[in-house]
Amino acid sequence: MTTTIRTRKSTKAMLWVSVLLLSLGSCEQYLDVDPQDKVAEEQMYRNVYDADAAVIGIYGKFMGLAKKYVILNEMRADLMTTTNNSDPYLKELSEQNVSAENPYVSPKDFYLVIQNCNDALKNFDIMVAQKKFTQSQYEQRYADVACIRSWIYLQLGIQYGTVPYITEPLANIEDVKNINKFPRLSFNELLDELVTFTEGLTYKKIYDSGSSLLVTVDGYNTEKFFINKECLLGDLQLWKGNYLQAATHYKNVMETGTPRNDVDMYRIKYAEVVTNNDLAVGYLRYYEQDATTLVDNNTQGWRSIFGRDRDVLWNTEWIWSLPFDSDFAPKNPFIEIFSKTGGKYLAKPSKRAIDLWQSNTQSNGFPYDARGQKFTYKMVGGEPVIMKYIYKYEAAANTFKTDGDWFLYRAAKLHLRYAEAANRDNQHKIADALLNFGIQEAYTPAGYNNSTGDATDIKQTKLPFPYDFDARQGDFPSFRAIWHRGGGIRGRARLQRAEIVGDPLISIENNIINEAALELAYEGNRWEDLVRISLRRNDPAFLADKVYEKLSKEGNANAAEIRSKLMNVNNWYLPFTW
Amino acid sequence: MTLLKYKKLLFIILTIGLVSCSSPWDDKEDNGDANLNETLNEAISNTPETAEFGKLLAQTGYDKILAASKTYTVFVPTNEAVKAVSTTILNNPEALKKFVENHIALTSYSSVRNNNEERIQMLNAKYLTFKGSTTIGDATIVTADHYAANGVFHVVNKALAPKLNIWEYVTSQAGTSAMSNYLLSLKEFSIYDADAIAKSTAAPGFLADSLSNSFLKNVYNLNNEKNSYTLFLMENDGFDAEVTKMIPYLNKPSADLTAIYSKYFTVRDMVFPKAYTKEALPAKLTSRFGVEFDVDKTQIVGEPIVLSNGIVYIMKKVDVKLEKRLVTTKIEGEKNIAYYGVRSRMLYRDKKGPISLLYPDGLYNDLMVELPALPQFTLFYHANDMFSTKYKIYWRAINDRTANLFEQQLAIGGTVNQTATGFPLVNITKTFPMVIVPLNNYEEVEIGEFTYTTAGSSGLISLIGGTKSTSALTLDYLKFVPVVP
Repeated sequence: MTTTIRTRKSTKAMLWVSVLLLSLGSCEQYLDVDPQDKVAEEQMYRNVYDADAAVIGIYGKFMGLAKKYVILNEMRADLMTTTNNSDPYLKELSEQNVSAENPYVSPKDFYLVIQNCNDALKNFDIMVAQKKFTQSQYEQRYADVACIRSWIYLQLGIQYGTVPYITEPLANIEDVKNINKFPRLSFNELLDELVTFTEGLTYKKIYDSGSSLLVTVDGYNTEKFFINKECLLGDLQLWKGNYLQAATHYKNVMETGTPRNDVDMYRIKYAEVVTNNDLAVGYLRYYEQDATTLVDNNTQGWRSIFGRDRDVLWNTEWIWSLPFDSDFAPKNPFIEIFSKTGGKYLAKPSKRAIDLWQSNTQSNGFPYDARGQKFTYKMVGGEPVIMKYIYKYEAAANTFKTDGDWFLYRAAKLHLRYAEAANRDNQHKIADALLNFGIQEAYTPAGYNNSTGDATDIKQTKLPFPYDFDARQGDFPSFRAIWHRGGGIRGRARLQRAEIVGDPLISIENNIINEAALELAYEGNRWEDLVRISLRRNDPAFLADKVYEKLSKEGNANAAEIRSKLMNVNNWYLPFTW
Repeated sequence: MTLLKYKKLLFIILTIGLVSCSSPWDDKEDNGDANLNETLNEAISNTPETAEFGKLLAQTGYDKILAASKTYTVFVPTNEAVKAVSTTILNNPEALKKFVENHIALTSYSSVRNNNEERIQMLNAKYLTFKGSTTIGDATIVTADHYAANGVFHVVNKALAPKLNIWEYVTSQAGTSAMSNYLLSLKEFSIYDADAIAKSTAAPGFLADSLSNSFLKNVYNLNNEKNSYTLFLMENDGFDAEVTKMIPYLNKPSADLTAIYSKYFTVRDMVFPKAYTKEALPAKLTSRFGVEFDVDKTQIVGEPIVLSNGIVYIMKKVDVKLEKRLVTTKIEGEKNIAYYGVRSRMLYRDKKGPISLLYPDGLYNDLMVELPALPQFTLFYHANDMFSTKYKIYWRAINDRTANLFEQQLAIGGTVNQTATGFPLVNITKTFPMVIVPLNNYEEVEIGEFTYTTAGSSGLISLIGGTKSTSALTLDYLKFVPVVP
């Protein structure tokens, strides 16, 4: 069989042309496929669920700041110090001598989250204009993201002093550094901006109970994921020096449980001495003199604030806490920092912090504050290890089960901040009561008989909001007022009273900041507490002396030099470079 | 025909291809450094000044090990140094192997290191101190940092014959030194009951040597190459004199036992966990058992013997004062071994008392039974190592609770009757009078005297509460102070 192909020039040319045409035309559509695992811009912000995804996404990014937040606020202050394992950059922070290449100081991570916030806020505006979600849905989500942004800016102000305040999404993140485009605001100017903007938000509560954001995600209830806007506003006003407004905001949070007559919510409840099912420092009943009966586990007592699951009792203490789960990104950064067995043991309590706890005396006469050597840190192989962040990890007894939390706001911090504002607003007695043994104890007259007395006219402040507390408890007639269980911070910690020495304003304020060290150590509050009080009193020594004491107690030869450096406020702030 | 033509062509092309191509593998390996083409073994053998040591490597089979792909450091003695090595080593294959091993360490240590001075482990498990680029052990480095494919070698001026460790040295003195004989005899004899158990259950392995001899177990493991020690080895006369001093205080049921324990309580204070050179010897030393003595350098015989894990001083005598030898026994209140009563009534307290010279931080831990809920609540204690002598007994018992009556007495000796329904202690040797502990007394109080006729176990020491069910007890510590005549 033979096949003959007749070839002519014209047919050949035709063939080539058609091949060319086909190849050109066919490519266009085939190659333009939408990716399966990425969301295109026009697919975002279509409805309220997209908006929810944006909010959750921002919180996911926000969690990446946890390590920096804790390290910058604790390593630079007086309670935390470096170990033999610490890298030189941590030492620089501890010794207040930060080099330009130090990775902990770059503000870029903060601005990346701010950029996300700005982008979401802009799109929320567009969505509501296009009626893609309701006004109420808009206000709630807008306020949430706006408050995260304000919170980050407050941190930036505390750490860097002068920073650019950017509220629009940027095409290029490097523009943040461009001083011509974005002039830097001083810390005070920044605070003004933040107060004005955040107070201006129309929605200041937590999400509506019916909101699509209040769900259970991967086994975690999301309610406590979100920033508490009133706490943030209280903090901003406290920094600004508007004490009445600060106290008002804080008090709103303290009364969270009041409408539903919840007597435990955010009230620093006294110890349950019979069952030890509480958040207090406790011993077995009747054996309070036996140190071996200390309630030291993840489900009872003060330690369980950090170790327990997100249950009812947890809910009465925690206001804002973000969980790290080994099954999901981001990874828990705290195990690497603190654990000696599963991490690198990069940070430990300073000698000064240890001495601080040991200088207290418990109500049972034990010569220490158990919150220190028994709970916040423990001795492992002769060295102190910060335990707060790793109780869950240790309990799991599995190297890969790296669950934990970023501790952001809890009732004890709320009470201390409220007390700080109230004290400055001349409510010394209330401040002292919340710090020590609670309102009921402070407002009960001497010689009053608790079992037979008439409590009608006592155990209450009889002041207008935000200084109204009713802690009445009595049986003739019967009273169980909303604050009757408040045991005070030191009461819950089973400590003796912090006495007022000299001027009550200054003395109580000192006691409050001191107490914050004992109660909230390593939760990322110390540096900002020291900065806030020093600025308020215009007394750099308040901060400088404490850092000096930390360094000198560990035998740092440059301690005195560092102290004199810190006597200049400008040296408190980190260089704004990346 | 055409096929054949192609075949020829193909063959020619292939041949050209094979010849013209260089091997990329060889190109990669050849980095222009001739040193890296030789293994350590070849490098040592090929270097003229170290060829002798190269021969020893071949003789012991270490040439093959140094040709392997692990990384090593070799300290190579010069030919002259190898010639100076004694024939007892060179002619004994086993000794020669150990000798060669003592020159080789795993991984490469160049003269540039992070630590200026470090102890590195050689292949025979002994450690040598490597100082900068100057010395290794007692040899001086002639030229450092010769490198080869699998490590570095340093040429040294002296052969590093392996040294004995302290325990091996003691073993070598058997027969001539009475003190050495005694130390070795503790392999058979068990000073404490726990020693016998340890010896019988000691699994072979790295802990075995520390368990198999009562001295190594209870004092320091002188067989441990990783640490350094100083041992004072007394000559026979001096040793006997010291032992004789101890005999009255270590009275045992038989004269033989008395002799053994007198020796033990003499030698246990002669070891220290640090190698002190002669210059660095302090004027006073305190043993881990709290016995202090003056170091009399004039009694040192000859030069100190430097060994692989420390230094031995041969001493004419080491004169330890009797009152230093007879140490006080302190028993902590919170370290009770048993109790009669209810566990939950016992309060292990963390406390702070007044600050004084004796208690510089004021902190103390004690055991208090505040509400015993039964009469004669009892806490039991025990101590080893009592001397056969008279003791003065003190306690520090703190009563800081106003509401209770603290009534307690001390008793020594006796046994617990396990079947008793009430107070279980029977056959008490001595009961001290009942004491009412006064409020807020933070000082030591003398309780009385007790004489042990036999050395060793204290017998049961009991703190017994009063006969009322409210008679509380409290104890910070007990102190047994030997009365030295």
